[in-house]
Amino acid sequence: MFINKNIELIDGTAMAYINDISAVVISDMHLGYEGTMAKSGIFMPQVNLKQIIKNLDAAMEKRKVEFLIIDGDIKNEFAGVGEAEFDELYKFAEFAKDKKMRLVLIKGNHDNFVERYKEQFKFDIHRQEAKIGNYLFFHGEDMPQKLESAKTLIMGHEHPAISIYSDVGKEERLRCFLYGKYKRKNLLVLPAISYFSNGTPVNTIPKGKLLSPIFKHVNIDEMHAIAIGYGSTMDFGKIKELKKLAKNNLHYQKIT
Amino acid sequence: MIENLNKPFSDNENLSVLNKYVREWFVANFGELTPPQKFTFKLIHERESVLVTAPTGSGKTMSGFLSVISALFDYSIKGKLEDGVYCIYVSPLRSLNNDIYRNLLKPLDEIYDMIIKDKGLDIIKSNIKKVSVGVRTGDTTQQERRKQLLKPPNILITTPESLAIMINSKKFVEHLKSCEFIIIDEIHELASNKRGVHLSLTVERLTEIIGRNVARIGLGATIHPIEEAAKFLVGYENGEPRNCKIVDATWSKKLEVVAMSPVNDLIYVENAKIEDELYKQIDAVIKSNRATLIFTNTRSGTERVIFNLKKRFGYGEDIAAHHSSLSREARMDVEELLKKGSLKCAVTSTSLELGVDIGSIDNVVQLGSPKSVTRAIQRIGRAGHSYKAIAKGEVMALDRDDLVECSVMLDAAMKRHLDSFEIPKNSLDVLAQHIVGMAITDNWDVDKAYKLVTKAYPYSTLDRNDFMSLLDYLAGNYVGLESRNVYSKIVYNKEENKFGKRGGLSQLIYMLNLGTIPDEVTIGVFTTKNKWIGNIEEEFLTKLKPGDIFALGGRLYEFQYAKEMKCYVVEAKSNTPTIPPWFSEQLPLSYELANEIGKFRGSFSEIVERNMRKAADKLIPDEVRKFLDKLPMDENAKIATYGYFYEQLVFAGAVPNEKLILIENTIDIEEQVVKKGKIMSKHFIIFHSLFGRRINDALSRAFAIELSERLDSEVGILVSDNGFVLNVADLEISKSEIDRMIKDVSGMDITAMLKQNIRRTELMKRRFRHVASRGFMILRNYKGFKVGVGKQQINSQLLLNSVEEIDQNFPLLKETYREIFYDLMDLERAQKILSEIKEGKIKYKIIKTDVPSPFSHKMITFGYADVMMMDSKHLYLQRLHKSVMERIK
Repeated sequence: MFINKNIELIDGTAMAYINDISAVVISDMHLGYEGTMAKSGIFMPQVNLKQIIKNLDAAMEKRKVEFLIIDGDIKNEFAGVGEAEFDELYKFAEFAKDKKMRLVLIKGNHDNFVERYKEQFKFDIHRQEAKIGNYLFFHGEDMPQKLESAKTLIMGHEHPAISIYSDVGKEERLRCFLYGKYKRKNLLVLPAISYFSNGTPVNTIPKGKLLSPIFKHVNIDEMHAIAIGYGSTMDFGKIKELKKLAKNNLHYQKIT
Repeated sequence: MIENLNKPFSDNENLSVLNKYVREWFVANFGELTPPQKFTFKLIHERESVLVTAPTGSGKTMSGFLSVISALFDYSIKGKLEDGVYCIYVSPLRSLNNDIYRNLLKPLDEIYDMIIKDKGLDIIKSNIKKVSVGVRTGDTTQQERRKQLLKPPNILITTPESLAIMINSKKFVEHLKSCEFIIIDEIHELASNKRGVHLSLTVERLTEIIGRNVARIGLGATIHPIEEAAKFLVGYENGEPRNCKIVDATWSKKLEVVAMSPVNDLIYVENAKIEDELYKQIDAVIKSNRATLIFTNTRSGTERVIFNLKKRFGYGEDIAAHHSSLSREARMDVEELLKKGSLKCAVTSTSLELGVDIGSIDNVVQLGSPKSVTRAIQRIGRAGHSYKAIAKGEVMALDRDDLVECSVMLDAAMKRHLDSFEIPKNSLDVLAQHIVGMAITDNWDVDKAYKLVTKAYPYSTLDRNDFMSLLDYLAGNYVGLESRNVYSKIVYNKEENKFGKRGGLSQLIYMLNLGTIPDEVTIGVFTTKNKWIGNIEEEFLTKLKPGDIFALGGRLYEFQYAKEMKCYVVEAKSNTPTIPPWFSEQLPLSYELANEIGKFRGSFSEIVERNMRKAADKLIPDEVRKFLDKLPMDENAKIATYGYFYEQLVFAGAVPNEKLILIENTIDIEEQVVKKGKIMSKHFIIFHSLFGRRINDALSRAFAIELSERLDSEVGILVSDNGFVLNVADLEISKSEIDRMIKDVSGMDITAMLKQNIRRTELMKRRFRHVASRGFMILRNYKGFKVGVGKQQINSQLLLNSVEEIDQNFPLLKETYREIFYDLMDLERAQKILSEIKEGKIKYKIIKTDVPSPFSHKMITFGYADVMMMDSKHLYLQRLHKSVMERIK
């Protein structure tokens, strides 16, 4: 679905396509996650990178993609670049090269030491934020700085999701984009693209538990949750309504 | 061949085979042989494999050990007793192990003293050694282990897990090669779960290491079918069970049992009054006996009973609690006090069910149904200090369904109708562990290894393809698991058809992660101000939605949200819990007992119906009384049971039975839903299908899926032993629609349907984590680090998703479905019941009622069934009942 004439949220995925700069933007890939888990004795099959590449391939069939912007946390480990991470970063860089995409990485809090491979993998790395066209990309761990000429701010970091409770009490958690305003500019928060993130339900946790400092200034209640799941992408309305829904609306009331 | 023995040998035949000193010692100390001993002394002497089942106090342990001790002293006197293990004794309980150790020291000492007295200095000359005994469990110190390595005990007492480690220890396993006897105690406890399955493979691997078949001796309480337990004990060879003699001395002790009701009206008598009467009854039983053992089924119940007995009757140190949340020391203290005879009464959840020596108990009280005839007999069999005594037991029921259940159960017990146990078959997670274990110790030819595995009875029908897929999984041959240095735990060479050890780490993984009992997740409950209140089980959290009210530590809290492993709440404003159905602590009713209850319902309701007109004054009509007098029930129980059936017949005109499922189309009088500003009732479709929860769990899901598809709306389920309830928020369903639904579902193969449904549930996620952990996909302990269960949990959904991504037939995924469908549920019987409905062998009748009928009340209050909720449950029941009575007056 399109949220405005230039930004398309690609159906059923955590990817946004930006028409006027021919870019796909994704966030929080956490490559190497399976390797990190295996180190602590949890042996997950390696599916994350495969799924991301599959989704990107599908997106590129119908769209012109010159840039692939990663809005932070391309990898997972804080302490360095692990063997599994290097391996997957390498494969991912090869994929981008094959497809003739330029990789732009906004550094996230997990992306320590990636500079080492900047030349080798041909990453265009930005430490804090990057302005491309009318868009300001930042990871979200810190506040965005150079707002002036940007029309839309795009961030990751938060791993947003919403929890919906059915009539009989089962929780369904859907990853979502958040879309709203900050200082009269559009603010788009990307869901984590990592296969292994099921997201933080922003409609049930208190505001104080949100990770990103920007939510001290932006009222999340007024943002729209655009949820993804089951192959489609849909606007679920404002967070404040979803909060009510989680708490009251579907809840049985005793009448005695 | 499995052979049931009925004719005992003569005392002379039994005693003459024993070593002279052992015989003298036995005769001097016991004088006579108990029923099982009249078989076993001779049989075990002849190195036969024997399965003995007998109640407490029947000399069971000695029946297994005496011929072993005799054989060892025979060696000793010939100067041929070496440092080596001749007998391995395995029990599931460490405390039982310590008991056995102490109980063996005495005869071994005394017999050796007799020999010294007789032979004098000859014992040195002829190298006559004392028979030694030692314990090796998780509690054994490193120092002790080193000693055992230098000088192994002749009789080694251990647990299934420690034995599994020993057979993988290169040095220690050498000492096991001299083994001639394996004794497995508490076999009824082991045969029905994965712990026992694990042991069965360990024993086969051990037999392979020893290089010959050794005598296997199984000891246990009542179990049915006993032939299955025998096959479990001895295993298979060349596609047939190895030889085993069965000695069933279950009935050597007489039972004297009664089902009791504290009052004759379990609905309108106030809860406080019912409790008063209940405790008075308990107190009377305690006072009239020397030592009483009370079973409560739950831990919280145990604490509550102790508290009340102390408060009401001034008991003090003479009563004590024994349950699994107490420290080991505290439990051992209680066991010690019981043995010394200084306790009047011990209250336990289930932990004293097993054979820990607790001295002589006169009487067993069971509060609430133990859910199976066999279990009732096992528990009541704890009473009576010798097989000549009578095992006395009272079962006290707390509601009307419970009462009927307990009465029928005790009647079945007196008639010796036992319910059956099942052995989990072909568990792939347990097998994965053993394949890793086997690979560490040897290079295996695949065919030879497969053949070895199928010797264990739980794997005698193992599909070879499943075995191969495990090898592939463990060797890292699955897509996505192919980074061998990370994922593989064995080396598997397909060309040579061989597998073996991969590297140093797999040894460590095996030793540190072996076992079948999963770590459970506890969730901390905090106020939103971060103050810790207590813990709940993870399973419980998954049922909570924001706004739900539940009890913890006697207070009510409203659930707010959960983050990671924490659950945040505020104090609840309302005093009615909305706690969703929860029965994790409850045991399921056995199918056989359910069937017996069904038959009772059928014949009893006929008699009540026949006598209906005479019953205006509610006195029990003669014919009815005559029928009830044949059952082990007290007067209150008879009056309450009669009233229950009478009301159901008058109100609903039908009582469901084992051949008739009553389906009630009705509404919930209490819960209504506000939807789009309109108040609407919740609709209930109540299936009175008394088949036990394992079957109803499967049936209810099948019907709920079908209904939900027809209505295109969510359907809630309440499952219990007596039936299940489907609820839909605001739609009324017509009789013909229900009829069509039943016709459709009864013609279906529900396996595929349930698989699809189970896939997305919390149940699947939780069980998959257990299976993945047993199958070494998630390690609890890796490279010396404990992997927090929290970390395991957060990722188990994702792990599950990613595994489904690789292959729907991934062995650990397959095992998870098997465990859910066949261990947790009983899909096989559920399917059979559906086809019987289709063939008309089981009939059904759909009725419409304005309010739920009496027989359904417990089913729909099940959500309140937690012990803490006694009061509100009782009130709800009263309201339900009142609305019924208003209509039948």
